[in-house]
Amino acid sequence: MFKKLTFGQYTYKNSIIHKLDPRIKIITVVLLSATAFLMNSYYKFAVFSLFIFLLMILSKINFSSLLRNLRPFFFMFLFILLMYIFFSRNELDQGIRTIWKFILFIIIASILTFTTTITNMVSAIEKLLIPLKMIKINPRTIAVLIALTIRFVPSLFLYADRIRDARLARLGNLKTPKQIKLLFLPLIERVFKSASNLSDAMLSRNYTEKRTTYFNIIRLKYYDYISLSLLLMFILFILRVV
Amino acid sequence: MIQIKNLYFKYEDELVLNNINLRLNDSSYTAIIGANGSGKTTLAKHLNALLLPTKGTVIVDEIDTKKDQFNVRKNVGFIFQSPEDQLVHSIVEEDIAFGLENIGIETDAIKNKVRTILRLLNIEYLAKKNVNMISAGQKQLTALAGVLVMEPKYIVFDEPTTTLDNKNKRNIMGIIAKLNKKDKIGIILVTNLLSDIKYAENVVVMGEGKIIFNDKKSKLNKSILKKAGLDV
Ligand SMILES: Nc1ncnc2c1ncn2[C@@H]1O[C@H](COP(=O)(O)OP(=O)(O)O)[C@@H](O)[C@H]1O
Ligand SMILES: [Mg+2]
Repeated sequence: MFKKLTFGQYTYKNSIIHKLDPRIKIITVVLLSATAFLMNSYYKFAVFSLFIFLLMILSKINFSSLLRNLRPFFFMFLFILLMYIFFSRNELDQGIRTIWKFILFIIIASILTFTTTITNMVSAIEKLLIPLKMIKINPRTIAVLIALTIRFVPSLFLYADRIRDARLARLGNLKTPKQIKLLFLPLIERVFKSASNLSDAMLSRNYTEKRTTYFNIIRLKYYDYISLSLLLMFILFILRVV
Repeated sequence: MIQIKNLYFKYEDELVLNNINLRLNDSSYTAIIGANGSGKTTLAKHLNALLLPTKGTVIVDEIDTKKDQFNVRKNVGFIFQSPEDQLVHSIVEEDIAFGLENIGIETDAIKNKVRTILRLLNIEYLAKKNVNMISAGQKQLTALAGVLVMEPKYIVFDEPTTTLDNKNKRNIMGIIAKLNKKDKIGIILVTNLLSDIKYAENVVVMGEGKIIFNDKKSKLNKSILKKAGLDV
């Protein structure tokens, strides 16, 4: 169960996509998703899909785990398709395109999560948010918030499980609203307790918003600049030329 | 040396610490034992400025906790009761580095220190593991590593064994004793279990916000423990 809940699907492979700076990868995901959103002709779709396929190959991504990421969306796709079939059959091709766009989004996001560690992802977000300093928002605060979310969501499920098991042992089942309340109140109480413990723990380790040093350093290399330029050229090509 | 003088502490209206006077010497090993609700955690949190006195003073190596929290916390590490709630990052080595980033240690030095601590505690194999996938004992060791890496002069342990099984309990108690004997770190061990005070040289017994005994462990007797409401 924890395997499912633990964030990050990163698996180490020796690929050029793995080696890319995480900032470049995040920017790429944003740009490619926007491009996918703007595309309309089948021809563009074909070229774009081919490009994504190429990225998949380059990142040595595991196809079966990619399919696993797509599986939860299967019914949504089916639903969209059926809606088009029943209500506007003449626009069916648009439905197919919508689904195809979705699939592309998921693949693009998966390439990022499969090739980037949580650590690097959070570092990259912190660096990308540095401009926010101008409006007095500290990027470290946001990075720590994200790190804490990633860290504590699985714990939340763990607490819920423990409380449910304890309740089940005493009450037999959990069906009525009152019993559900008995499940949630202790959970909320536990979460607040955790938050207070955690804030003590962070303070006792001298947490401040301002920091000057990093355990994890990310540096842009030539290779990152070249990749970004190639990407921009490709996007221009897709949107203007094809 | 940590010196507590005429310390009173109130949560809202409830007086939780009632005129505490205590001296903890460098490299000493003191157990603070008392029943639930006797004020142990509240007292412990004063040692690294997580709580500040309502009245009285707490002085850590000449620094008043009211005046300079940053340096007090650098000197006094704190291990909390629940290891689950004190790990900030998802990856073990990154969590260990958290405090060092906070106090502005350079990257190379951080990496070296983290590596050294992992080796010291024999948990190199945990370095890249996800905190959500490791056992309670391993979480406790990770929390300890995150504190040790800051090279504190004193470490406060608040009921460090409550979430652990017997094997992990023995392991952590052994490590604490060694940190005191070998590395000369001053230990303050807060507990409500008599079995936990095995390695301590001094014992402080608390009852209802007061110190009712403070001496060498050998002087401790059953009537004092009974008075503190502890099972003997
Ligand atoms: N955050 C708080 N707010 C109000 N009262 C508290 C708080 N924490 C502890 N107390 C009260 O202070 C007393 C001592 O608690 P504590 O120091 O946690 O004792 P111990 O660690 O010995 O079990 C208890 O009566 C408890 O209810
Ligand atoms: Mg306590």
